[in-house]
Amino acid sequence: MGLITILLLVLLAGAILSLLTKTTAQARGVALVSSFGALAISILMYLMYDANFNTVTHYAFEESGTWMPSIGIGYHVGVDGISLPMVILATIVCALCTVFSWTESKRPNQFFALLLLMDLTLIGVFVSLDFFMFYVFWELTLLPMFFLIGIWGGPRKDYSAIKFLIYTHIASVLMMLGIFALYYFHGASTGIYTFDIPTLVNAYKDGILPISQFWLDFIFVTIMFGFMVKMPSVPFHTWLPDAHVEAPTIGSIILAGVLLKMGGYGLFRVLLPMMGVASTWFIYLIALFGLVSILYSPFAALAQKDLKKLVAFSSIGHMGFISLGVAASVLAGMDPARVVAHTGAMFQMFSHGIITCVLFGCCGVIEHHTHTRIIDDLGGLTKKMPKLAILMVAGFFASLGLPLCSGFVAEFGILSGSYHTIPIFIILAAINIPFTAGYHLWAVQRTMFGPYNEYLGDVKEIKWFEFLPLAVWVIIFVILGIYPEPIIGMMQTTAEYFLLSGDILPIGGIHVPAGGAFPW
Amino acid sequence: MSDVATATTALMDFRPYAHWIMLLPMIGFLLELLIGKYTWRKGGMFATLSILGSVIISYGCLYNVYVQHLGFWEYSWDWFYPGIVAGFTIDPLSLAMLCMVSFISFFIHFYAIGYMSHDCAKNVYFAETALFTGSMFGLVLSNNLLQLFIFWEMVGVCSYLLIGFWWHKPEAAAAGKKAWMSCAVGDCLFLLGIAMMYTIMVKQGITSEIISFNNIFQNLEHLSHETIFGMSALTIICILFMCGVLGKSAGFPLHVWIPDAMEGPTTVSALIHAATMVTAGVYLIARAFPIFLAAPNALMIVAFMGAFTALYASTLGLVVNDLKRIFAYSTISQLGYMIAILGCGAVLGVAAVAYALFHLVAHAFFKALLFLSSGSVLHGIGNVRDIKEMGGLLKGMPWTGYAMLAGALALIAFPFTAGYYSKDRIIEDAYIYATHGGDLGYLVWVFLVLGVILTATYTFRAWYLAMTGEPRSYPAIRPHECGFWMKTTLVVLSVFALGLGIMTGGGAKFWHFLEETFVHETHTATGVYPGLDLHEIGLLGGNSLMAHGAHPPQWVIYLPLLLMIAGLAIATTVYYKNRIDVSKYVKKDNPLYQILWNKYYLDYLFKDIIAEKIIMTVFTFWDVLDRYVIDGVVNLLSWITIQSGQVSRKLQTGVVQNYATAVIFGVSMLMILVIMFRGGL
Repeated sequence: MGLITILLLVLLAGAILSLLTKTTAQARGVALVSSFGALAISILMYLMYDANFNTVTHYAFEESGTWMPSIGIGYHVGVDGISLPMVILATIVCALCTVFSWTESKRPNQFFALLLLMDLTLIGVFVSLDFFMFYVFWELTLLPMFFLIGIWGGPRKDYSAIKFLIYTHIASVLMMLGIFALYYFHGASTGIYTFDIPTLVNAYKDGILPISQFWLDFIFVTIMFGFMVKMPSVPFHTWLPDAHVEAPTIGSIILAGVLLKMGGYGLFRVLLPMMGVASTWFIYLIALFGLVSILYSPFAALAQKDLKKLVAFSSIGHMGFISLGVAASVLAGMDPARVVAHTGAMFQMFSHGIITCVLFGCCGVIEHHTHTRIIDDLGGLTKKMPKLAILMVAGFFASLGLPLCSGFVAEFGILSGSYHTIPIFIILAAINIPFTAGYHLWAVQRTMFGPYNEYLGDVKEIKWFEFLPLAVWVIIFVILGIYPEPIIGMMQTTAEYFLLSGDILPIGGIHVPAGGAFPW
Repeated sequence: MSDVATATTALMDFRPYAHWIMLLPMIGFLLELLIGKYTWRKGGMFATLSILGSVIISYGCLYNVYVQHLGFWEYSWDWFYPGIVAGFTIDPLSLAMLCMVSFISFFIHFYAIGYMSHDCAKNVYFAETALFTGSMFGLVLSNNLLQLFIFWEMVGVCSYLLIGFWWHKPEAAAAGKKAWMSCAVGDCLFLLGIAMMYTIMVKQGITSEIISFNNIFQNLEHLSHETIFGMSALTIICILFMCGVLGKSAGFPLHVWIPDAMEGPTTVSALIHAATMVTAGVYLIARAFPIFLAAPNALMIVAFMGAFTALYASTLGLVVNDLKRIFAYSTISQLGYMIAILGCGAVLGVAAVAYALFHLVAHAFFKALLFLSSGSVLHGIGNVRDIKEMGGLLKGMPWTGYAMLAGALALIAFPFTAGYYSKDRIIEDAYIYATHGGDLGYLVWVFLVLGVILTATYTFRAWYLAMTGEPRSYPAIRPHECGFWMKTTLVVLSVFALGLGIMTGGGAKFWHFLEETFVHETHTATGVYPGLDLHEIGLLGGNSLMAHGAHPPQWVIYLPLLLMIAGLAIATTVYYKNRIDVSKYVKKDNPLYQILWNKYYLDYLFKDIIAEKIIMTVFTFWDVLDRYVIDGVVNLLSWITIQSGQVSRKLQTGVVQNYATAVIFGVSMLMILVIMFRGGL
C-alpha cells in the first residue's frame, strides 16, 4: 500500500470517526489529527519526491491495480510535478481550515466529517490516473460542498446550493460524454476497454483512434467545457459568486482555494496532450476564455457591494491567467519562454490557492465579528482590528500581484513567457493590471481605513484560531514569493517534460496552419 | 608583508557584501514590526541602526571603487525562472545612489525619532520606513530589470502605506490609493516592456542573465534589428519604460499623485516623495541609458517630457498655498530637469547621466532639507500647512527658518550652493544639445530656462510668506523651535545643501567618477563585461554623440543666473516689500488663475471624468450584463427545464438530500452506459 492510498484512507477514517463523535471538541480533535496527518503525509511525499521522476517513470508513488477489470476500471494513482503541489495545497488548506473552524457548534460532527470528505475527494481528483476514479471523485467533490452550503450557508443557501450543484453537474455530465466517447472509440479500435488516463490520452494524441476530426473535436470540447465551468471561465462563471456569497467561510476557502483548481488541473492532465490533435483554434479559444475572464473580473468586481462577491470575482480573473498561460505555452515558439509560461501557469494554481484563502478568510472574520459584509457599512476597521488589517492588506496586495508575493512570480512568468506567441492577448492582459489594483485598493480603503463606522458597535479583535491560519497562509505566499524554488522547481521539470520531450506535445510546439487559427 | 597587505585589502573589500546593504534594513523592518514596541522610545532603534549599517557598507564600497580603484563588481544568484537572477551591481551609478539614499535615509530616521515621538504606532512607522529603505537599496543595486521592477513595486507599496499612515483620515487613505493607481498605470506598461525585452533577448538565444542590464547592453547590436508591430522594438520598449518613469518620477501627466501624497507624515514626504523614491524613475533611465541610446527617437521623448514637466509643474507651484505642496510641485519640476538632461544624452553621451545624477543627489539634500524644515514648522505651529496663516516664524524658530533658507537658496541655484553647480550645468548642456542638432533642441532649452525664473519666484514666495512679516494666525504667534534630533538633522543637511558643490570641486569630481559608468568594464565572479563604446551604440539609434566637449557662449552661462535674480526680485518685491498688491490678479474671475488653481483641470479629468463617469458607467453596465444577461441565460435555461418538466416535478420533493441522489445517479449512469457499450456483460 503506497503513500497515496494511506493518505486517502487517513482522511476517510477521519471522516467516519468524526461522524460518530458527539461534541465539538471530539469532532475537532478527530479532524485535527486526520487533516494534519494528511498534511504530514503530503509533506513526506514532497520530501521523497525526486524531481527527475519524469524522465524515468513519469509518475511518482504510482500504484495500479485492478478494480473492475471486466469493464476496464482500474485503481491507478500517482503524482507528478503538477499534481503533487495540488495535493499539498489541498492538505494545507484543509488542515488550516479545521483550525479556523475551532468553535463550530452547529452539527460539529457532520461539519468536520464533510470537511475531511472534501479533502479526500479533492485529493482523489488530483491523484487519479484512471478516468473512472477521476470522474467519481470529481462528482463526489460536489457532495460535501453542496451540504456545506446547504446546511451552514447564508439566507439564500438553497438557491445557491442547487445552482452550484446543477450547473457544475451538467458540465460534468458533458465531460462524461467526452470521456465515454474516448473510452468507446479506444476500445472499439484496439479491443482494449480501459479508463486508464495515460493510455486513453496517448491513444488520442498518437492518432490511433479511427475517428473523424469531428469526433476528435467533440471529445475535446466536451471535456474542455467541464473544466471551463469548474475553473470557472467567463461566461460560465455565474454559479461561483452565488455559491460564495451563501457558503460558510470554510466552504468559500476550500471552494476558491482548491476546488476551482480541479478545472485548471484538468487542463494540464487531460487536455494538454490532446491539444496537438484537436483543431488548433481551440487553443486560441482557451486563451480567449482566459483573456475574457481577466478583462471581465475587475469590472464586475468594481460594481460589487458585498466584499465576498468582490473577492469571488477576483478569483475568476486570476484563474484566467492559467488558461492564458497554458494556451500560449503549447503554441510553437521559443522553448525557454514556453517553459516559463507553462511553469507560471502551474504556479498560478498553487499561488492563487494560498492567496485566496487569506482573502476569503478575512471576509469571514469580518462577517463573524461585524455581522455584515456590505462594504459601505464597514469602514475604519483598523481601529478595532489592527492585526486583521495587517493580514488583509497583505492578502489584498498579494492578490493584486505585488512582487515578493507568490502571485507576481506566476503572473510575471505567464506574461513574459507568453508574449511571443499571443502578443495582443498579453498586451490586453497587462493593461488590465491597474483596474485589478483599483478594485482591491478601493475595497481595502473602504473597509479598513477612514473613520471608524460607529454603528458597528464594539467589534472585537480577531481571535487566535482565526489569526493563526491566516498568518500561516500569508507567510507561505511571502516565502514562495521570495523563494518559489521549492514548488516551482518540480513544476518546471514537469513543464519541460510536457513541452519539450515530445511525449505529450509535438516537439517545438503546435504550429498553427495558415488560416487555421482565429483571425487575430 | 605583502600577504598582510593583500589580506587587509581583501578584508576591506565591501563589494561582495553589497546585498547586506539591502538586507540589513529588511531585518530592521522585521525586528521593528515584531518587537519594536518594547524597545527604546517604543520604536525606531532597529530601523535607525540597521540603516547605519547600510551607510557603512555603502561608503565602504565607495572607498573600494573610488579610492582603491578595485573596479566595478557584479554578482548574481539564480532565482526563479531559468535565466532570471537576483543580482547586485556596484558601479559609480549605483554607488552615487547608494551613498545618497543611505545618508539621507539615516538622517531622516534620526529626525523622525524626534518628529514622531508622540505617535502611538511609532514602531509600525519605523518598520515601514526601514522596509522602504531596504527596497530602495534593492532597486538601486539591481543588475537586472525584473529585480528592479520588484523593488520598484515594493517602494511603491511602502509609499502607499506611509501616505496612508494616518489611516483614519479619509484624505490620507484616498491619497495613498491615488498614488498607487497613478503608478500602476505606468507600471503595467513598464512590466509589459520587460516582457518584450525578455522575449527579444530569448530570441537571440540567450539563456542566462536574460534581462540583466549588462547582458542587454552587450547584445544591443542584435536587439536593434528586432521589430514589434513594424516599429523598432527598442523604441517601443523604451517608451513603455518611460511610462513607468512618468508614474514613479511624477512626470506629466501621471504626476497628479504627488501633491496629494503630502497627507503622509512630513518625514515620509522628505524621504520618499522628495529625496529617494521619486528619483527611481530617473535612476531607471540612467541605468538603462545605453538601451535608450540605441533606440531611435526614445531620448527625444525623454527630453521633451522632462522639460515640459519641469516648466509645467513650476507654474503650478506659483498658486498653491499649502507649504508642503509648493515643495511637492518643485520636486516634480526638478525631476523634470533630471529627465530632460538624460534625454539630452542623445548628444552628450554618458556625461548626461553624470549631470542628471549630480542634480539628483544635490536635489535630494536640499529638498529633504526643505521638507524637514517645513516639517519642523508644522511641528512648531500645530500642523498648520497654509502659508497664508503663517508669517514671521523666523523670530520664533530661527534654526528652522535659516535651514529652510539654505534649502531655498540651493533650490533656486543661488551662486555657490549645490543647486548652482548642478542645475546651471543642466541648462548649459541643454543649450549644447540644441546647438549640436538634438531633436526639439531649443524647445527643451527654453522650457528649462523659463523654469528657472518661476522656481525662484515660487520658492521665495513660500519662504517670505512663512518666515517674514507679521503672524497671520493664532498658532503662528508662538511657534516653538524643534528639539535636538530635528535640529541636528537640519544642520547636517544645510551643510550639504550649501556646500556639496564646493566639496566636489564644482561637481567636477562627481562627474568624472560617474562618466566611468558603462564605459569601463564590469567584473563578475565568472568573467568580465567589457566596457561599451557609446558612440557605436548611439549610431544604432541614429544618435551621433559629440566627439569633444563644447562650451556654450557666455550669455548662455549667465542667463540662468540673471533669470534667477529676476525671479528672486519679483518674490522680494511682492511678498517681502509688499510693493505690488497681487490680490488684483489672484481672484476667481481671472481665467489664468482659474486654470492654475484647478491644476489645468487634470485632476478633474482623471477623477471626475475618467474614474467616476466613464469607469463607473462601464462597471455598472457590466454588473447588469453579468446579473441579467449571462446569469439570465442560465436562469432561463433552468426555467425552461422546470416548465417542461412539470410532469416529473412531483418527483422533486425539495428535500436537499434528494438532489445528492442526482449525483450518485449520474455516476451510476456512467457505469450503465459503459456496460451497455462494452457489451457482453
